[in-house]
Parts: sequence; structure tokens; C-alpha cells
Amino acid sequence: MALTISEANLRLLIDLLIGAGKRVIGPKRVGEMTVYEPLLSGADLSPGTLPRRSAKEAFFPLSETILTYEKDKEGLKVTDVDTATFPETVLVGALPCDAAAPQVMDAVFSWDYKDEFYLERRRRTTIIGLSCTSADDSCFCTLVGLSPTETKGSDLFLTPLVGGGYSCQSISDRGGELLANYPHLFSETASVTPLPPARPEGGPVDLAKVKGWLEEHFEDEIWEEVADRCIGCGACAFLCPACHCFDIVDEGTEAKGVRRKNWDACAFGKFTNHASGHNPRDLQNKRYRNRFMHKFKYYDDKFGKTLCTGCGRCIRSCPVGIDIKGILEEIQKR
Amino acid sequence: MNSTEKLQPAVIIDTSGYAAAGEEIRKEAARLLEQKIVDAVVGYQAGRRTGSSQPVVITDPAQAEKLVFSPTCVNNLSLYLTKAKKEIRAKGKLAVVAKGCDLRALAGLMGESQLKREELVIIGVVCAGVHAAGVASGEPLTDATIAKKCRECSVHIPEGADLIVGKLPELPNLSPTEKELLDKLDAMTPAGRWSYWKEQFTRCIRCLACRQVCPFCYCEQCLCDRGRPQAVDTSPRPAGNMGWHIVRAMHLAGRCVGCAECERVCPMDIPLNLLNRKMAQELKGLYGHEAGLTPTEKGPLTSYDEKDDQSFIK
Amino acid sequence: MPHDFEPKIVAFVCTWCTYAGADLAGTSRMLYPSNVRVVKFPCTGRIDPVFILKAFQKGADGILVSGCHPGDCHYMAGNFHARRRFAIFRKLLEFIGVDLARLEFSWVSAAEGGKWVEIVTELTGKIRAMGPLTQFTELADEEQWSGMLSNPELKAVFDQV
Repeated sequence: MALTISEANLRLLIDLLIGAGKRVIGPKRVGEMTVYEPLLSGADLSPGTLPRRSAKEAFFPLSETILTYEKDKEGLKVTDVDTATFPETVLVGALPCDAAAPQVMDAVFSWDYKDEFYLERRRRTTIIGLSCTSADDSCFCTLVGLSPTETKGSDLFLTPLVGGGYSCQSISDRGGELLANYPHLFSETASVTPLPPARPEGGPVDLAKVKGWLEEHFEDEIWEEVADRCIGCGACAFLCPACHCFDIVDEGTEAKGVRRKNWDACAFGKFTNHASGHNPRDLQNKRYRNRFMHKFKYYDDKFGKTLCTGCGRCIRSCPVGIDIKGILEEIQKR
Repeated sequence: MNSTEKLQPAVIIDTSGYAAAGEEIRKEAARLLEQKIVDAVVGYQAGRRTGSSQPVVITDPAQAEKLVFSPTCVNNLSLYLTKAKKEIRAKGKLAVVAKGCDLRALAGLMGESQLKREELVIIGVVCAGVHAAGVASGEPLTDATIAKKCRECSVHIPEGADLIVGKLPELPNLSPTEKELLDKLDAMTPAGRWSYWKEQFTRCIRCLACRQVCPFCYCEQCLCDRGRPQAVDTSPRPAGNMGWHIVRAMHLAGRCVGCAECERVCPMDIPLNLLNRKMAQELKGLYGHEAGLTPTEKGPLTSYDEKDDQSFIK
Repeated sequence: MPHDFEPKIVAFVCTWCTYAGADLAGTSRMLYPSNVRVVKFPCTGRIDPVFILKAFQKGADGILVSGCHPGDCHYMAGNFHARRRFAIFRKLLEFIGVDLARLEFSWVSAAEGGKWVEIVTELTGKIRAMGPLTQFTELADEEQWSGMLSNPELKAVFDQV
């Protein structure tokens, strides 16, 4: 026996969740692209295609207000953003590489400083993951310890079935709650045949070995070889489900304005530029080295996790064809 | 897409000559490095993914065998010769592989005194077209997979290069899709155009790939990165995005040679080259100027004529 | 006479000609609408299109750019360069969807106090009739979906259900 939900009922579930006042985010077709966006109804859901941008925006917006200020004769008035106003959210149709990422980022946002903006949005989000059935030559979740059927990070996990519909697996209490709240949408089916999962090319990489190699090769020709071509844009970091650097800026005038938290990227030349004018990462290949090291060494040193879920977005979007999967395989060979 | 359209077989563009062009590039690169005519060659090499390619800088004649030419050689390599890429300039005298469209960028950069012709060896490649953004690297080159700019290309043969490799095959007639879109926008009301661009720019995430890939965005300090005074909001919100794209188009007006790299690399599929093209079209109409045809010291916005049109000024 | 709508108009002027012309209008006790805020520059050649954009974003309903007549530039050719720059910038704004009636250019010499009054009066009347420019200020309040604190469009859907 397996718990299942039909395609129509999944869309109905989205309608009911929206009706219950939740923000439902899922893959949606916008022009020629699929992106994660708030769905206006169940009909908007376009599952199965990896959206152009990751789902991290649900917890870590591209740009968010963190305070507003106003100065008058009475003095300066600062108003904090009330995190209680953050929307209750259901992220639906997140593929395993997107669903697994927030758990990795939780570590950094709740480390020495508790980032309430991120954490509160996280607390208010339920993730309905979706098993992945198609991979291209940029996909590499299987290289970094995940898989197209990985349930890590999901609260409820859906597996598409032959003949339509999904089998459902409750992964957490939240997932259970969802099942309990809408029991009429789910049914028990005697036997189900899941669609064959995607099969990304390439076997698992020994991440401990890669990390060991990185420890010895901070200075190495490989960085020039792979990253002298890097042009210093932020496409890889901005599309990445796990990159989480941000910049804080004040916008407005002296008398009135807003402080905002915006995405930032280590590939930008200004990222490590000191006020003195000195830039410790003065060349582009050093910036790329940092990106790679952060994903496969520094983050592991600090939190015991790999900061990459193998979605392949950085490979597809890189203007100059930098291929993190290829680099991992190359280091594995060394 | 309607079904009859779908059934029509794709028009294949003959790229059988690309392999031979690649062979000639390898030979020339090896010769230039062996004879120490140049210190490094900027070209394309095959990537890991089937059919893919990526820019590469080689300094050793033995590495010349890596070089290729294929429909995935989309990059405009002139970017690597500017002062934005100091580490590559530092290698010494350079040779570069250039398609006709890339050659226009080189001419533009020479005009702006960013490059010296005599310090550069240009290996020109005859090009029938390259892939559009988002096309899987293994796909053949057809009317469905070819880049928009190539549909209206007038520089298949890179005249003025030191060596021209490859042969131009017979080319099919392709409809100018970008021009059609531009005409459509021109015919809209201002309010219609505003809502079109608002929608496009709202998608922008400010990854700045458009700026970083542009051979003409070589400024060491971008106006749009400045905080005091802040010309353009740096936050990736609709207002700041609108500001950024207006400033970008304005700063490239009269300089952009239409390589359309900005549009190719945009991860959000914003049709950025429409803006550049519109500017180029207007500058041609007003001042008869076309960027990148020959190195010219003064562009249309760094020169003037006392008789310029001033019908818009009271 | 009070009006329902008093437009904000920003005038970017060069110090040598138009500013002196406006000064002349003032010292000659000529009357013109006080809607115009004058910002003085050394030359029209110094007026970056970014200033115009910024003024619109900060709530200007109309903008006037004015300097020396061709041939009169204190720096010989500043206004010739400006003329080309603004000719193309207008086309860009038009392409983006800004109504060019809100952006005016003029040559006003130090002796043309009367012309200054005429241009400012006419522009103020025109902009007043057009009403406030809202496209830029409304845009300033918009957020990407992920940065919104509340989702009005979702609220609307929710209310329908």
C-alpha cells in the first residue's frame, strides 16, 4: 500500500493552501522560462523542470528590507521589520537539489549570530519535495552525495508515478500535518510504479579526498587553468541554491531611507576590496578559488557539510563555460 | 507553437567547414608560439560536455592542439584583451581568435585606445553562425538553434584579420527575428513599452553578467558600483534595475558593436541587445555612425558637428 | 490662482547662460511659476543623463535642461556635446516608455530673461495639464516577490476564495 495524490488533487491542495492564507511557491512558467514564484492557483504549477533560479529566495530574498529610518527635528527614528509579518509559506515541487539546500544553509545562518530574517522565514516554510526524473549533462547531485530521489530537506516528498499522480512520503511532522489537514486529497493505492528517476552521469566523488587535496593545493596551477577565464559576474552564485553571501546597503537620503540586505557574490571584484584600496583577492582566479574552496572545504571545516547540491545551474549559466562538475572530477583523479 | 510549424524540418546550417578552420587555428597558434611571435593565444577549447567549448589562454605551442572551432564558440574573446583582464595582458604579446562580430569589438577597442593593432595578432575565423543561449551544446546548428545576431550577420568574413581561416558555406535566408521585435516595440505606445521593459527588468537579479561580459565595460570603477554619490540603486529591485539598464544602454551608445554577449549571458533572458541595437540604429540615423567598422578615435558621442539636429531644443 | 496640482519641475542649467538668464528675469522683476527648482552646473556638458533619471526617480514631474546657444559655450563645445548626448538619451527614454513631453531642452542666453520666463511658464502649464508623473515613483515602491513583506496579489486571490 502506498499513499498517493492525483495530479488534480495536488493542484487542488495548492488552491486550498492559498485559500488558507498561505503563500505557495512553486515552479511556474514565465515566458520561455520556469522560475519559482508565488502561485496564484494550482493551475500555475509547472512541475518537473528545474527552475532557472533556485528556491533559496523563499528564505533568502534577492533583496529585503531590514529596517527603515527617518530623521527629523525630534531625532532619528529607526523602525525594524516585524518578522511576524513574514508569510506562512509552502514550497511545492522543489526538486531534491533545491529541497536539500536550506538545511545546509541553516548552519551558517544560526551560527554565531542568529539571522532572524532567514530563520523566521525558514520556520514558516513547509517544503513539498519532488523526485527528479530528468537530468542533463550539467546535473551532478550524485557526485555530491545526493540523488534524484533524495528526501533530505523535504517535509513531504512526492514521487511521480507511471500513469500520472504521485506517491507521497511524509518525512517530518510538518509533512504529517499536511496529510492530516487534507486527508480527503490523499488515497491509499495498492500498487504503484514510480517513473524511473533521473540518472545524472558520473559516479560519486570522494568529497573527503577532494577536501584533502584542496587543503594541500591552495596555490596550484589548476586555479589559473580553470578560472583565468572567469569574467567576474555573479550568475553562478545568484542561481546557486546554497550560496548565501549578502551585502547590506542603505538607500535613500540622509533624512529618510531603507537598509536592505541584497545578494552578493564572491566573484565580484568589489567583494573583498578593502577601504584602503587593497584587494586580497586581486585576480579573478583567486575569487573563483574561494568559491570552490568555500563549497568543498571551508564550509565543511566549519559545519561539516558540503555547500553544493549538484543542481548544475552554475554550469548552465556560466558565460564562459566554467564547469564545477568537471573540476570535481579532475581533482578526484589527482 | 502551431503544429504545422512544428512539422517543418529545421533548416540546417552547414558547419562542416568548422573542423577545418579549427585545424588551421591550431597550426597558426602553434606557429605563433613556437616562433615567439606572441606569448599567448586566446582561443576556444572543447569543454567537458559534448560539443561544448570555452575560452582558453594558451602559452605553450604543445597546448595548441587543444584549440577548436565549433558552433558553440559563442564568446567574444576580445573581452580578455582589455584592462579588465590584467592577468591575461600580463602574459605579453597576444594573439586572439576572432569571428567577424568579435573583430568589430576589437576595432572599437582600438578606437578607444584600449588596444594597439600592432601589438595584436588576429586569427580571423569565417563563421556561418553560432548557437543561441540555452541551446544544448550537442545540438546541430539550425534555424532553430542559431543565435539571433547570426540571423542578420553582415560580417561572416572577418576582413582585416592577420589570417583568415575557414570557408563560407552557402547560407540559408533567415528571418530577422530581432529586427521584427524591435519594430514591434517601436510601434507600441510609450505606456506599452514601459510595461514591456518593466516586466523584463523586474526579472533582473543584478548578477552583472551583462556588464562583466561586455568588452566595452572595462572601467575600473563602474558608476553603478559607487555608493557616494549613488547614481543607481544597487539593490536588485525594479527601480534600481530600471536605472541600471538605462545607464548601461546609455554608456554603450555609440560604442556597442552588437556582439550581443550581454543578451546571451543573461540568466534571466532579458533581451538586452534590443536596447543596444535601438541606440545604434538611432545614432546611425542621426549622425551616420556605425561602431566597430574601423578603429575611429572619436565616437558619435565624443564628437559633434555644429550643424547637428537640434529640432528638439527650444 | 491656486491649482489642484502643482508640478515639481527640475531645471538643470549652465551657470554662464541660462542661470544668468534666470537671474536677469529675477532682477527684472519678471514673474514666472515657482514650480521650477534650478540646479546650476558649470556647463550643459556636465549634465549627466543619470541626473535626469535620478530626478524622475525622486519625483520630478517635468525636467528642463538649458544652456548656452550653440557657439556661445564658455568652454567652446560643451553644449555641442550635450546636444548629441541628449538627442540620443531622449530616444532611449522614449524607447523605454517615458513620455518625452516631460523633458524639455532649451538654449537661453544671459540676456534672455524673457525667454526663460516664457519657457518655464509654458512647461509648467503643460506639465500641470499632464498631471503627476507616477511611473518612476510607483516603480520605486515595487519589490521582487521574494522581498515583499505582504503579497497583495495573493491577498486578492485569498479574498476571492
